[in-house]
Amino acid sequence: MKKQAFLALTFALAFTLTAAAQPKVGDVLIKNGAVLTVTHGTLENTDILVRDGKIARIGQGLRAPDGVEVVDATGMYVMPGIIDAHSHIALSAVNEATNPVTAEVTMEDVTNPYHIGIYRALAGGVTTSHTMHGSANVIGGQNETIKHRWGFTNPDDLRFEGAPRTIKFALGENPTRVHGKRGASGGKAKVPATRMGVEAVLREAFADGQRYMEAWDRYEAEKKRNSRAVPPPYDLRLETIADILRGDVLVHCHSYRADEILMLMRVLKDFGVDKVTFQHANEAFKVAPELAAFGAYASVFSDWWSYKFEVYYSTAYNAAILTRNGVVTSVNSDSGELDRHLYHEAAKSQRYGGLTDDEALALITINPALQLGIADRVGSIEVGKDADLAVFDGHPLSVYAVPQMTFVDGVRYFDRQRDPDDVRLFVDPEASLDDGAMISNDEHLHELEAVGDWLFHLK
Amino acid sequence: MFLPATRPAPAALLVVIAAALALTPLRAHAQTDDLPTVTRTYALEHARIVQAPGRVIERGTVVLRNGLITAVGADVAIPFDAERIAADSMVVYAGFIDGLSHAGIPKPKEDPNRKRPDDPGNPPDDYAGIQPQRDARAMLEPGDKSVKELRKAGFGAAHTVPHGRMLPGSGAVVLLSGDDPGAMVLRGDASLFAQFEAAPGVYPATPMGMMAKMRRLYREAERRRMIERMYEENPTGLERPPHDAVHEAFFPVLEGRKPVFFFVESALEAYRALRLQKDLGFPLALGGLEQSFDLIDALKDARAPLFFTLGLPKAPKKKAEAKKDSVEAEMAAQYDPSIRTATYRDLEAERRNLEARQRMSREKYLKNAAMLHEAGLRFGFSTMDVKPADVHKNLRLMIEHGLPEDAALAALTTDAADLLGLSAMLGSVDEGKIANLVVTTKPYFDKDAKIKYVFVDGVKYEYEVKEKKKAKAGGEAANPVGVWSYVISTPMGAFDGTLTLEGAPDDLRGTLTSSRNPGATELRNLTFDGNELSFTFEIPDGPGTLTFTVVITGDEMEGSVNVPGMGEAPVTGTRESGPDRL
Repeated sequence: MKKQAFLALTFALAFTLTAAAQPKVGDVLIKNGAVLTVTHGTLENTDILVRDGKIARIGQGLRAPDGVEVVDATGMYVMPGIIDAHSHIALSAVNEATNPVTAEVTMEDVTNPYHIGIYRALAGGVTTSHTMHGSANVIGGQNETIKHRWGFTNPDDLRFEGAPRTIKFALGENPTRVHGKRGASGGKAKVPATRMGVEAVLREAFADGQRYMEAWDRYEAEKKRNSRAVPPPYDLRLETIADILRGDVLVHCHSYRADEILMLMRVLKDFGVDKVTFQHANEAFKVAPELAAFGAYASVFSDWWSYKFEVYYSTAYNAAILTRNGVVTSVNSDSGELDRHLYHEAAKSQRYGGLTDDEALALITINPALQLGIADRVGSIEVGKDADLAVFDGHPLSVYAVPQMTFVDGVRYFDRQRDPDDVRLFVDPEASLDDGAMISNDEHLHELEAVGDWLFHLK
Repeated sequence: MFLPATRPAPAALLVVIAAALALTPLRAHAQTDDLPTVTRTYALEHARIVQAPGRVIERGTVVLRNGLITAVGADVAIPFDAERIAADSMVVYAGFIDGLSHAGIPKPKEDPNRKRPDDPGNPPDDYAGIQPQRDARAMLEPGDKSVKELRKAGFGAAHTVPHGRMLPGSGAVVLLSGDDPGAMVLRGDASLFAQFEAAPGVYPATPMGMMAKMRRLYREAERRRMIERMYEENPTGLERPPHDAVHEAFFPVLEGRKPVFFFVESALEAYRALRLQKDLGFPLALGGLEQSFDLIDALKDARAPLFFTLGLPKAPKKKAEAKKDSVEAEMAAQYDPSIRTATYRDLEAERRNLEARQRMSREKYLKNAAMLHEAGLRFGFSTMDVKPADVHKNLRLMIEHGLPEDAALAALTTDAADLLGLSAMLGSVDEGKIANLVVTTKPYFDKDAKIKYVFVDGVKYEYEVKEKKKAKAGGEAANPVGVWSYVISTPMGAFDGTLTLEGAPDDLRGTLTSSRNPGATELRNLTFDGNELSFTFEIPDGPGTLTFTVVITGDEMEGSVNVPGMGEAPVTGTRESGPDRL
C-alpha cells in the first residue's frame, strides 16, 4: 500500500511538469540589471517591475509588492524579448503547394504548441515568432504572430492577441519552380514559369479580389433597397485578397532580386496597397532609397546566401545599408536553429556596417515589431508594454553572452538554471526511442521536399 | 446534439437511390432463401440482469419477442413459443453501441492507375475527398467481416460512416444483424462525417487547406440555402438558384438536423475541429479523441457529444520484468523530470529516463477515459482505431487506470444511446426497447469473462466459449506477400503509391512505386519478423538510405519511413491483392 502511495505521489509530481496550467500573465521584479530599452538607450543598475504581465515601473530602488518574486540581475543585461519576423517553428504544415494562389489558408489553423522549437527559441531569448506559410506559391497563406507560451497546448493560447493579420507572398524561383517548371504534385505546368508570370498572377489575383469586393459592396447596397437581393458567391480566397486591398492584411513577401522587389512595389502601388515587408530581400541594398520612398520594410538574413542562383548577389552589409537609408529593417532566422542566436545575427551588422548598439538591437526587437504591427505592445522596454524580456549574462551583442532567462507576459518560460534535458510536452508512447526526431517543419523541409520530388514526381 | 432525423431532402434521396442502384448487381445474391428460424421468441432464464449501470436484477428473466424486449424481471411469464435459454450464472447487458466506425462498409480499393488531375489546385471533388453527398446506407454490406467481428465483441448497433478523405459522406446508425442492407438501418443521414484526411498531392493537401475548404463550403452552403428559401417563397424575378449535391449535403447541418461528426486522432486535430465549430457554428460531435487528456477544458466548453477511441497505445516491447501493466506503471514512475546529462558517459541513464518518460506517456493514454469521466464529461466509445478483439482488454486497462466500471458500461450502452439520441430504442435492458443484448459467462469486466450470446434486433448469435488453453506460440503466422497501397504523411502533405512484395515471408523481394512516378525502386534488406516488416531503399543524390518499418495486421500495415538526418514520417498501407488477403 505504501508503495502505491509513493507511486501516486511520483506521478503527481511528474505530471505537474507537463500538465500544469501556468499563469498566462505574471508579476516579477527584475533588480539591478543593465536595461537595454532599445528606444531610450541603456539604463545602468535599473529595476523593472512587472505587474499582470505588463511593465509597470522602470527605475532604481524599486520595492517588490507582497508576493512578487524578485530576480537579481546584478551584472546582467535585460533586453526586450527578441522578435523573429520570419519563422516556421510550431507549425504542423508549411506549404499548401497545390496552387499558385492560396490566400485563404492560414497558419493559425496549424499552430503546433507541442513543437520543441518554441522552447529552443525561448532559450535564445526569442519571445515572439512570425510563423509563416512557405514560399511555394505566389500568394501563399496567412501567417500568424505567436508568443512563446511554452506549456500551453491550446493553439489559441499562443496567439499574439490583437496582432494584425499578415500574408505571405513569394517571388522568383520558388513559385516558378513549383508550379511553372513541372507543375505541382505531378500536374501540368502552369503560370507562373517566369518572373513575368509571377507579376501576372499577382495582378490577376488583385483584380479578382477587386471585382469580388465590388460585387459584395453592390450587394450590401442593393440589400438596403431590395429585401430579395441575391448575394454573390462566397469565396474565402478572394475575400482574403479583398482584405489585403482594404489594408487589413500586411504583406510579407519572400523576394531576393532588386528587379522583383521593384516589380512588387509597382504592383502594390497600382492596387493601393502600401504596407509591405520584403522578406530575405538579399538585393534590397541595391534599391534601398526606393524602399524608403515607398515606406516598405525589409527583413533580411545577416549573411546567408548562395543556396540557389537568385541568391548569389548578396552582402553582409545589407542590413546596415538599409538602416542607413532609412528603411525599417529586421534580421530574421527562417530557421529553427538560427533563431536561437539572433543576437549574434544582429551583432554581425556591427562588424559589417558599423551599426550602433541600439541600431543593431533594433534589428531583432522594435523593427520586427513595427513590421508585424505590434510595436505598441513589444519590441522595447517601456512602461505599459508587455513584459516580454530576455536576461543575458553579458551584453547580448557580445559573442560571450549567454541567455539566462526569458519572460513572456511576465512569466518565466526559460531559465538556464532550470533547464532539464527533456522538456518535451508530448512523447509518442509508441515511437522507437532511437527514432525520436520527428520531422520538423523548419530547415529540414527543403531537403524533405527534394526527397519528395524524387520519390513522387520524378521526370 | 443528435436530433431525430427527418425525411431526407429530395435531392439527397435521389443521390442515395442513384448510389443504391449502382450497387444493385453486387447485392443480387444477398437475398437468401434460408428457412426462417424456428421462433423469434427467447427467454433468458435465471440470469443476472444488468439493466443499466447501477440497475441490477440479481436473478431474473428477459423475454425477447419479434425483435423487442417484451419483459424483464425476477418473475415474468415465459411465452409458450419461447426458446428457453438457461442463463444461470450468466450476466445480461444491453447490447453495446459503437459511436463511430466503418461497420458494414468495406474499404474501397484505391485505383493505383487513376490519373492525377492536371491541375492539382482544382481537382475534381471526389478526388479531393469532398463527397458529403454520399450516404453510408448505399454502401452497407451486411456480410462484411467488420459486422461479424464487432458483433462478436458485443456490439449490436453502430454509427457507421463511409471511408474516404476529408468529407466522405453521411453516417447512419445500423443494427449489426441480418442480410438486407436496408433493414440494418435504424437511422439514416445521421451525421455529416468529417476528418483531417488530406488528398495526396492535390488541394486541399494540408490541414490548413482542409480547414479553409471547410469554411468556404460551409459559408457558400449558407448562402445557397438562403437563396433557395427565397426562391421557394417566390421564384418570380429571381435567377434560378445554383444547385449542387456537395453544398446541399450541408443543408441538414445548417438546419441543425444533424451534426458534423469529426473524427480526430490527436489533441491538435481536436483543437482544429473545435476551432472550425467556433468559426462556423455547426452542431458538432467528436470521435477518436486520443490524447484528449490535453484539452479537457476545451471539451467541457464545447458541449459536444464525445466518442472516445477504444484503441490504446501498444505496450513497449516486454522485458522479462515487465509482463504486467502494474510493472509498467512502476517503471513509468521512475521518470526524473529534472535529469541533465552532463557527458556522453551518462547516456545509459538518459536512455532509461527517456524510456520511463515514454511509459509515463502511455500511462496517460490509459488514464484518458478516467480523466474525461472525472471531469464530468459523458462519452460513448468509438471502434475506429481498434481491433474488435482488443475491446475487452482495452476496457479493462481503462478501468485499471481509474475509469469506474459503471462509467465504462454507461459509455458502451446508456450514454452512447443518449448521445446518439437513441435512448428510446437502445442502451438498456427495458421493456419496449430493441432486443439488443450481450450475455456473458461472468461479469463483463472480469478478466476471463467471455461473451456467450449476442442478440441483435432479436436475432440470436451464439459463441463457443473455449476453455482457457495456452495460445499457440506466436499465433497465426502472417504473410506480407501481395500488392499493397501505401500513404506516407509528411508536413508537405501525403504521398501514396504501391508496394509489391513477392516470394515467401522468410525470402522476400519487392519493389516500391509512386502513383506519380512510373518507375519502380528495388527494395533492399527486406526482413519480416512475426509481423514487423522492414526494408530500405536508396534515392540517387538523395540523403542516403531510407528505412521503411511497418507492423502488419491482416491486410493493414502501419509504421514509419525514416529519412536520414530528418526523422520519421508515418506510413499506413492496405493490401489490395495477394494470397493472404482476407
